[in-house]
Amino acid sequence: MPAMNSFSDHVKHIWLRLGSMSLAIILLVVLSIASVIGTVLLQNQQQADYLQQFGPLWYWTFRALGLFDMYHSWWFLTLLGFLMVSLAACLWRNVPRMLKEMKGRRAHLPERVMRRFRLHRQWQCADPEQERQRFKSALRGWEFSESEEGTTTSIRADKGRYNKWGYILVHAALLIILIGGWVSVQFGFRGDMIVPEGSSENEISFLKGTSREYMKMPFEVRCNSFTIDFFPTGAPKEFRSNLTIIDHGKEVLTKDIIVNEPLYYKGVRIYQASFGDGGSTIRFKLFHLDDFQQVEQVTTHVYDTWKDEKTGVSIEVTDFKPFNVENMAEPGKPKDFRDLGPAVEYIVRGPGLKPVKVKAFMNPFVDANGVNQGSFLMISLTGDAKDYKPFALGIDLSNAKEWQLLHAFLQHLSRNKAKDKKQRNLQAFRAALHDVYGDTPPKNIQQIAMRTLHAATTLPRLPWPYLPMLEDYDQVYYTGLQLARDPGMNIVWFGSALLVFGMCIMFYMPHRKLWLVLKRENNTTVAHLLGMSNRNEMAFAKTFNDVFINVSSAFAEHKDPTTKEKI
Amino acid sequence: MTAITADASWLNTLHQGRVAFVRFCAYLGLIAGVSAMAAFGVEYDNAFLLRLLSAQGALWAGTGALAGLAAGVVLGALRPRLQESRIVLNTVPWLDGFLLMILLAMLWSRFEPAASAINYEDQSNLFSGRVIMAMNVIFIFSAVSYIAYLFAPESFIGRIATLSAYAGMYAGGSALLLRWYESYLLDVEIGHAPVSNLYEVFILLFVITTAVYLALERRYQAKAMGAFVMTLVSAGVFFGIWLDSIGQGDIKPLVPALQSYWMKIHVPMNFVGYGSFAVACGAGMAYLFRHRLEQKGSQSRLLKIFPTLEQLDQLAYKAVAIGFPAFTLATILGAAWAAEAWGGYWSWDPKETWALIVWLVYGAYLHARISHGWHGKALAWWAVAGFLVTVFCFLGVNMYLSGLHSYGRLS
Repeated sequence: MPAMNSFSDHVKHIWLRLGSMSLAIILLVVLSIASVIGTVLLQNQQQADYLQQFGPLWYWTFRALGLFDMYHSWWFLTLLGFLMVSLAACLWRNVPRMLKEMKGRRAHLPERVMRRFRLHRQWQCADPEQERQRFKSALRGWEFSESEEGTTTSIRADKGRYNKWGYILVHAALLIILIGGWVSVQFGFRGDMIVPEGSSENEISFLKGTSREYMKMPFEVRCNSFTIDFFPTGAPKEFRSNLTIIDHGKEVLTKDIIVNEPLYYKGVRIYQASFGDGGSTIRFKLFHLDDFQQVEQVTTHVYDTWKDEKTGVSIEVTDFKPFNVENMAEPGKPKDFRDLGPAVEYIVRGPGLKPVKVKAFMNPFVDANGVNQGSFLMISLTGDAKDYKPFALGIDLSNAKEWQLLHAFLQHLSRNKAKDKKQRNLQAFRAALHDVYGDTPPKNIQQIAMRTLHAATTLPRLPWPYLPMLEDYDQVYYTGLQLARDPGMNIVWFGSALLVFGMCIMFYMPHRKLWLVLKRENNTTVAHLLGMSNRNEMAFAKTFNDVFINVSSAFAEHKDPTTKEKI
Repeated sequence: MTAITADASWLNTLHQGRVAFVRFCAYLGLIAGVSAMAAFGVEYDNAFLLRLLSAQGALWAGTGALAGLAAGVVLGALRPRLQESRIVLNTVPWLDGFLLMILLAMLWSRFEPAASAINYEDQSNLFSGRVIMAMNVIFIFSAVSYIAYLFAPESFIGRIATLSAYAGMYAGGSALLLRWYESYLLDVEIGHAPVSNLYEVFILLFVITTAVYLALERRYQAKAMGAFVMTLVSAGVFFGIWLDSIGQGDIKPLVPALQSYWMKIHVPMNFVGYGSFAVACGAGMAYLFRHRLEQKGSQSRLLKIFPTLEQLDQLAYKAVAIGFPAFTLATILGAAWAAEAWGGYWSWDPKETWALIVWLVYGAYLHARISHGWHGKALAWWAVAGFLVTVFCFLGVNMYLSGLHSYGRLS
């Protein structure tokens, strides 16, 4: 290493280092390894989930390293910055040399260089002028240059002389793409907007590091409607939002958007990203469990909390879905998806009650044989959707008669004095049946009896003062939009086009060179054919042989001119 | 001219000169006709294939092909040099092969069960399933023949191996095309290109890997490498059989995120990359195998038919040189799709990130080779390791990591 005494020498030394191949390879390897982290560790989740998953020690370590939003952490961006500097230095160092090389086409080959060629044939020829003619006509479309030094004539033929442009374009393109990415991050934005049907919104939210930030848009978006279309198989086919853009109080544009077909307004693209409940109206029937008689109606909305002043018990409605497709197969059996109909999710809280999450279905459960198995709930004691356990209520609460029947049954049971338990149940049920249905009992009386008995034992076990069941609903969706502006995008597309173009030159237009060197010694002439290619030597070796066969007088004289090989 | 080339001279005339050039122009015209129909002839919807198979499609495609044919005749007469263009000579066999696949798929469609017998719930009676099963058997047979050829290098064994590889490729390709048609038979709304789930893209991967390998075998007489490439394909075949056995082989409707013409471009392009990387891996393994034999001083007969170390080294590079630009283009197309569907060309989704890692791995391979002049064993290992990373990008990400590409998951 030369002694460095001035500041500029230092700078130059560092600059050269930055453009070096080794640094580039190290950077590429470090970048790939770092990128793996972000694919294994889920990015941009709730902080509470991370804390629960990793425990406080690792949570704070990871958080300090920015691993929860790794691709935007300072150190990852620094790595990308280094890559840009390295690319720029590499281009700076190599481009002038490459440009010069592409210009230079010296035909003369010194003896020691000739010896290093792998593709080299030589033969004696009588009339060198013929060799030269054949060389030129065999290589139509190639560029020739000639030189004479002493008794030696050299003819050089070049094809794909601009192959080095491939390298230059590819590396410049990568730099351009990285710059485009930087412009996108610096001057663009991307955020989510949630618009319930019938309302409008002008603010987007996005994650920055570990916190959520908000930004006003220069216009308002109103969601007129949101619809889901289904395939005959029940899978969702299309999510469609009808949106109106309101700019300065005026409706400027109304359009439908679906996934893959966004809306474009004032440099901002609006995408269909998600959907959910936009605050549907929910009507509950509260079946009082204390005296088994009273049924109360309550109207509330999704995301609202209804509180019973008397008991202090509250119901927080968290979600509503009109379709609930669930796998009804036994574990290990082929999957059997069925729609269980509308369901509402709520959390019940109250003094002395453990808060539990409940999913209550509007319709009773009808099994595969078409038999009504009564109403049911899903109850999660942890509040996590994964821990939902089905809880059969026995009677079908959507049928008022069954509720009456249960009530009548319990009353008769308490009055009945029969000794035998079975007898007592039977008598009470018969009496109850007569009270409710009169002389025309329903056909499936056996099942109803079983279910009523089941309800009589399970319902009193519920700790709540009443059982909220979904009675009716008025659904409102929200549409989840993503709004983005990306001023760097066109730079990236330009870079990408250059990249592909450059690669085609680099890989498929190799720089191939052929020399015909004619050396006169006394009366005879020795012809040398030499070849070199910077890519795809195997294919070129064939080309070289073809040229040799065409040019060499030994072969040429026996050849039929019509079978001349094309190079 | 050697005896072998003279033997196949009638085939050569088909692939050379005016015949090839005019055919090439007709193909171009056909493609232009179909593209024009996609762009102007129909409102874009998912029933494109049915439109293409109707009188309307025949009109567009036929007009295009005839115009191309006429242009070819005129151009060929005016500028005879054009007829000798390398691009034409190299492209025509591929287009021919593709046409053959289409014809085969049309033939298979005659054996389809009656419309009333086709239902979504039970797709086992669809004919494509049988063609795929035949493909599985043929590919495994081909791998066994290639391996047999290593130990008994008789030319007829080699020929059987190559022929069966061709047969498997055509069976797979035509089965995929047939499956495309069948998806419309199930329900017009369900119909979509057969590149939407893991099972379908696996078959695509076999077909492309075999095609890239056969192209290299034809040009560089590297038959011994087939034992390695076709073994990789056979391993994939077993995975495909497993996928089918757990019910992943069924045609399912497209999720809304995939309903885009980009899918038809982005996915096959990606598999040109993956397939070429698989061939590079096969060449790398062949290199390491031969290297080991040579080190042990083996005098085995198979060394004579085996490509030399240098050739294998070049073949691996050659495969990467096909795969890398294709993979780059596929990633860019994916970015363009993402920009259109999600609002950002790059979101550091696991699939995108792993695609970047694959790209970096092969980028580093090319740098090590071209700028640092590495050759031989180290690069052979690199080609093998690079393919493992590719497999993770292709399979592992879908199966183990979540993200925007999760529709490729097993469900």
